Amino acid sequence: MSSNIYKNKKPLIFFLAPAFAFMLIFLYYPFVKNIFNSFCDIRGLGTAARGLNTPWYANYSRMLSDENMRTALINTLIMILVTIVGQVGIALLLAILVDNVKHGAKFFRVVFFFPIVISATALGLLFNLIFLYDKGMINQLLGAMGVGKLTDWKDETHALITMMIPVTWQYVGFYFIILVTGLNNISEELYEAAAIDGATRFQRVRFITLPLLYNVICTCIILAVTGALKVFDLPWVMFPKGIPFGKTWLTGTYMYYQVFNATDVDYSSAISVLIVVLGVILSKAVNKIFKERDY
Amino acid sequence: MKKKMAAAALACVMAVSLAACGGNEQSENDTTSKSETDKETGKEEKKGAEKKTGGVELNVTTTFAGNDTNAQNYKDAAGKWQDDTGNTINDTSATSDETFKARVAADFEVGSEPDVLFYFNGMDSNSFVEAGKVISIDDIRKEYPEYADNMKDELMGASPVDNVNYSVPVNGYWEGMFVNKSVLEEAGVDVPNADTSWDDFMGICQKVKDAGYTPIAASLAQIPHYWFEFTIYNHLAPDTHAVLPEKVDDEHGKAWVAGLEDMKEMYEKGFFPENTLSGTDDETFQSFIDGKAAFLVDGSWKVGGIEEATDDVDNFTVTYVPAKGERKATDIIGGLSSGYYITKKAWDDPDKREAAVSFIEYMTSDEMVSKFALTSATALKDGAKVDEKELSGLGKAGLEMVNNITGISDAVQDQIPTECRVPIFDGMPNIVTGKVKIPDAVTEVLTMIEDYQPEDAKK
Repeated sequence: MSSNIYKNKKPLIFFLAPAFAFMLIFLYYPFVKNIFNSFCDIRGLGTAARGLNTPWYANYSRMLSDENMRTALINTLIMILVTIVGQVGIALLLAILVDNVKHGAKFFRVVFFFPIVISATALGLLFNLIFLYDKGMINQLLGAMGVGKLTDWKDETHALITMMIPVTWQYVGFYFIILVTGLNNISEELYEAAAIDGATRFQRVRFITLPLLYNVICTCIILAVTGALKVFDLPWVMFPKGIPFGKTWLTGTYMYYQVFNATDVDYSSAISVLIVVLGVILSKAVNKIFKERDY
Repeated sequence: MKKKMAAAALACVMAVSLAACGGNEQSENDTTSKSETDKETGKEEKKGAEKKTGGVELNVTTTFAGNDTNAQNYKDAAGKWQDDTGNTINDTSATSDETFKARVAADFEVGSEPDVLFYFNGMDSNSFVEAGKVISIDDIRKEYPEYADNMKDELMGASPVDNVNYSVPVNGYWEGMFVNKSVLEEAGVDVPNADTSWDDFMGICQKVKDAGYTPIAASLAQIPHYWFEFTIYNHLAPDTHAVLPEKVDDEHGKAWVAGLEDMKEMYEKGFFPENTLSGTDDETFQSFIDGKAAFLVDGSWKVGGIEEATDDVDNFTVTYVPAKGERKATDIIGGLSSGYYITKKAWDDPDKREAAVSFIEYMTSDEMVSKFALTSATALKDGAKVDEKELSGLGKAGLEMVNNITGISDAVQDQIPTECRVPIFDGMPNIVTGKVKIPDAVTEVLTMIEDYQPEDAKK
């Protein structure tokens, strides 16, 4: 009798209801509404739909022939690859190096994590100054080294790299901290035993650290892939409207542009549906490829 | 069972506590509103002796907020009107951006529009004008014959929907060519004036370029709008400029193609910054301030921007954009793109109607408009009375320019729905580099405009 109160789960529903209602109103309803909007004709933010598009799937067929959309998808896929290799890869390397440092590990942790606490907009402005055509830091350094001609780091040739570098750099610290935490969970005894057996430092990393860190790396990769799909603020600050020649569009920036610059609300709704579908498919695929292992 | 009762009792206590919290809040609110009412009643009694309209709460939304140069002027004026009349303003002004426009549109959609709205009178107002949710000036004058009688009706900014005036404007804008005088001195050329022809101007640009400077500061990647206007204007006239082409090969369509070809030619001659296709407007503006570029075509709002950005404002002046064809250099782009609306919701409430009319008459009096407008255009019959001593050299040059105009036209881009501007405005880099043929880009815009029209309008 005394334990009955714990078996009765009904009160739980009472306490879960507010959070559920919140999600229902502010997430699921807008999401479903957004899917519906993608089939409608909407002539501006805040205005009601003027009915369905003709044909109702017009926005989706438009996506197939939209060159900017194609660029955005390709750039986003490149961004995912760069994120996996650049962010998680560099974070792993730094984490292993810091783990092997005897003094100053705390200092390096703070230094590598620091970019995370700066807002992406501020970082965008910072990198704008670094890559600025006239008086930019890099061009000034090149000038000091005798390079007379200014380089336009945002032209067609350099734009994509100029955009990817700060985005990659920004999140290295995030994955670095996750990986360092994972490294701390590996028992020192394993390393000591391996050292007694004559394993070199590289062999210890190859045969102890990496296998035991596998699940943490998988988590980082899943976070990186889904995060790359949503990258928006920093690229938008540095490359508004996909400049130059629409070469720097990402799915996130192109969706924002369609709402707030082109005021094509229904088309941007369709793009956001595509982003969600892409996100679900990619995260499922990554989950399948990088399945967590039990040890 | 006891446990169940205890749980129920606990739930009751929680519910009562929550209700009590709400109740306290309510009672606090009641106290506040009561004390405010008491204060207002006192004020009402005091002011009531002076004016009978006191005690009305007016919901007002304007764009005089944030960094708007008139934000403080508006705050002061609204405060003074409240003190004078005893009415209260619930102000929901915000910076004019797409989010603000969306808010206004949504407010009208759901019936929570303000009583008085200071807003754009172009295409942005079409939805609520079409829905009959604002009152026309003519209708207001039937009851208040002196309403906005200090304004020139033809300059008030009629709605594109039915060419009827709905809003009373305050300050307008003009577009002109700002000049960095030191760059021209270095290049050994004079500041262009009303007599400078287009060919002379091209010659000046070439000399500036030969002297190692950028002739024109503009980001074609981000803000090609001003040059789009003037190069097309050069192939039309003040009374024909702000008319949309119907076809690419009609008079206006040909003017658009010819204007864009002029822009392409200027790009090919290297008159724009080297990074004009990848740089931002901020970068090109800075190059103008830093003395690396000679000319900048922009609006009257840039006077304040330049004054703020430089310590040597006397190094800058503003003049007419050189012309060719029928257009004279003294024919400028300008107009009054915003004004005060009274919504139908306020008009149907007799108290609010009285207060709204009083508020707008106060905010659009000659004295107030002069204060807000300074060097920008107004619709005042007697013109703005500006104390020139308060103006910088650049401000005076702007005023002189406006005082000597021979013609004025609205910007034709205001006739194009934002969604349809994309192929030319955002596609300008492709146009000037020849990746897209100019007639194709114009045709695409015109097709989009046609598709954008509602079916009944097309008929």
